[in-house]
Amino acid sequence: MKSTILTIFLLVAAVFVLPFLMSPFLVYMITEVLIMGIFAMSLGLIMGFGGLHSLGHSAFFGLGAYTVVVLSQMVSSIYVLLLVAILIACAFAFVTGLIAIRSKGIFFLMLTFAFTQMLYLIFSQSGYWGGADGLGTSIKPNLGFVELTSPLSLFYLIGGFFILSYLLLRLFVNSPLGTGLQGVMENENRMIALGYNVRNYKVIAYIVAGGFAGLAGGLYAFKTQFASPDLFGVHMAATVIIMVYIGGMGTLFGPVLGAGIYIFLQNYVSTMTDRWSLIMGLIFIALVLFNRGGALHLIQLLIGKVSSYKLNVAKSKGVSLNELAKNKGTE
Amino acid sequence: MDFFIINTLSGLTYGMLLFLMASGLSIVFGLMRVINLAHGSFYLLGSYIAYAFVHNGFNFWLALILATVIVMVLGLIIERLLISRIHGNETAQILLTVGLIFVIGDITLWIWGGNFLSIPVPDLLSATIQVGESQFPAYRLFVILMGVFFAALLWFFENKTHVGMIVRAGVDDMEMVGALGFNIKVIFSAVFIFGAGLAALGGVLGGPILGMYPLMEFEILINALIIVLIGGLGSWKGAFIGAVLIGIIDAFGKIYIPSVSMLIIFGIMVIVLVIKPSGLFGEVEA
Repeated sequence: MKSTILTIFLLVAAVFVLPFLMSPFLVYMITEVLIMGIFAMSLGLIMGFGGLHSLGHSAFFGLGAYTVVVLSQMVSSIYVLLLVAILIACAFAFVTGLIAIRSKGIFFLMLTFAFTQMLYLIFSQSGYWGGADGLGTSIKPNLGFVELTSPLSLFYLIGGFFILSYLLLRLFVNSPLGTGLQGVMENENRMIALGYNVRNYKVIAYIVAGGFAGLAGGLYAFKTQFASPDLFGVHMAATVIIMVYIGGMGTLFGPVLGAGIYIFLQNYVSTMTDRWSLIMGLIFIALVLFNRGGALHLIQLLIGKVSSYKLNVAKSKGVSLNELAKNKGTE
Repeated sequence: MDFFIINTLSGLTYGMLLFLMASGLSIVFGLMRVINLAHGSFYLLGSYIAYAFVHNGFNFWLALILATVIVMVLGLIIERLLISRIHGNETAQILLTVGLIFVIGDITLWIWGGNFLSIPVPDLLSATIQVGESQFPAYRLFVILMGVFFAALLWFFENKTHVGMIVRAGVDDMEMVGALGFNIKVIFSAVFIFGAGLAALGGVLGGPILGMYPLMEFEILINALIIVLIGGLGSWKGAFIGAVLIGIIDAFGKIYIPSVSMLIIFGIMVIVLVIKPSGLFGEVEA
């Protein structure tokens, strides 16, 4: 509990102080990092704590963004817009989750991928909502008492949502529901034997993750004022997986770190060459071949928490006891 | 009536191209439990390489063989160097093969640019065939025959040869096959490059019909994934049925209900998976 309060305090302080220390461009980029951070955290929840590897998480993000853009033609309140965005994402997660969660591993992955591609086709081929070109809006976050127009106020707004999301997800992970979910990931059969309804745990986690991804998508629409079918694309789905993977699975903050590393790297490389896609592909491959637990684990290792690092690796990657014993033996 | 026959034939043509692509994906998964999302990139690479050969004055048939062989060699390198190191780790497989999609896609964009390209139909098959009042290109008929030929070849291979027997056993229990003294690594590599070769062949054959353009690999991949999900992973029969089904729905859907033809395919997939999660002919449990 003490550490939670400390973390929140640090996060609030960091979000508050950052704009005073950095250039407007950096603040703008960190705004994006925070949005993608919420998105990546939500995927990190089901991947790192639930063992559900989804290649369709961008569905919820895209739905959130489209909801805000489409509804902004009628409604201007940010509360209504974001709430509906979250609810629609949750509803889609519920329906697809019920079908997809029956399958495991690769099958789950391909089903989530197929559902997302279905949305991509609907949004890009239908005559509504701008078709393949996407749809723009001029909505500004309207809190009821004040309308936020400057980039800085947008940063604080998104910073606020980020901290709130982190807090809620942390609560979820530490709740009986969250620990049950981890139990399912680690040993599903034992959880079944203990009398847990495994499917409910997975579906609930999937819905929660979908809701937060919808929130991220909604905030993204406020930032970019635009929603396009590309939000459902495989590029987006793969990008968010790589963010989780860069940062490290099995932690909440790892994916955020991954989002930061990814976005800054992308911006840096894009200024030098057009071949970002090629470089990103090579990074994926290199990460798979050489990554051992993600950036956050690397930092923990550097700080010297070697023992907790080992434990985390064992948790997140499912290292067998034999392997752990072997590692111990070599040291 | 002519209209009906022509459209069925068009659907079969597309279906056969998808079959060449999806069967490799399915067999590789069935045997190795490796999902190769870059399989669509093999298709694309096949058609681009064949285009390059034809463009430089090579004969279509020579280009077909050369492109297929080059992609098979590339498949061997990828399998040995990358895929073989990540057996059993699903996240790693996804990331690595998605990475390969981006790498191959960007390299083809780099070399061949972003314009729509197409391979000219070989002279030998440039004629059309009379179907009642209408005409049907001979080349498309040839593609259908090639699809049927490879389906027959796969059947023969699976049921009548020694290698097919090992592969069938491997789908059931690879460890046991290894324990019986067969070299699993060689079998894996062989099956993988065979699948890559089939995809490349599909790419070359599809070149004169579908053409090639950036991000095409995703379209092909999605269709192939749906096919293997409907048909069931691990069996070429499922891939064949699924591919024919999707090809024909695609051909008629585009005429009668253009905006939702893709949705019907997704609908069928969802229904099949709700009733039978492992697909129609699935030999691998979901």
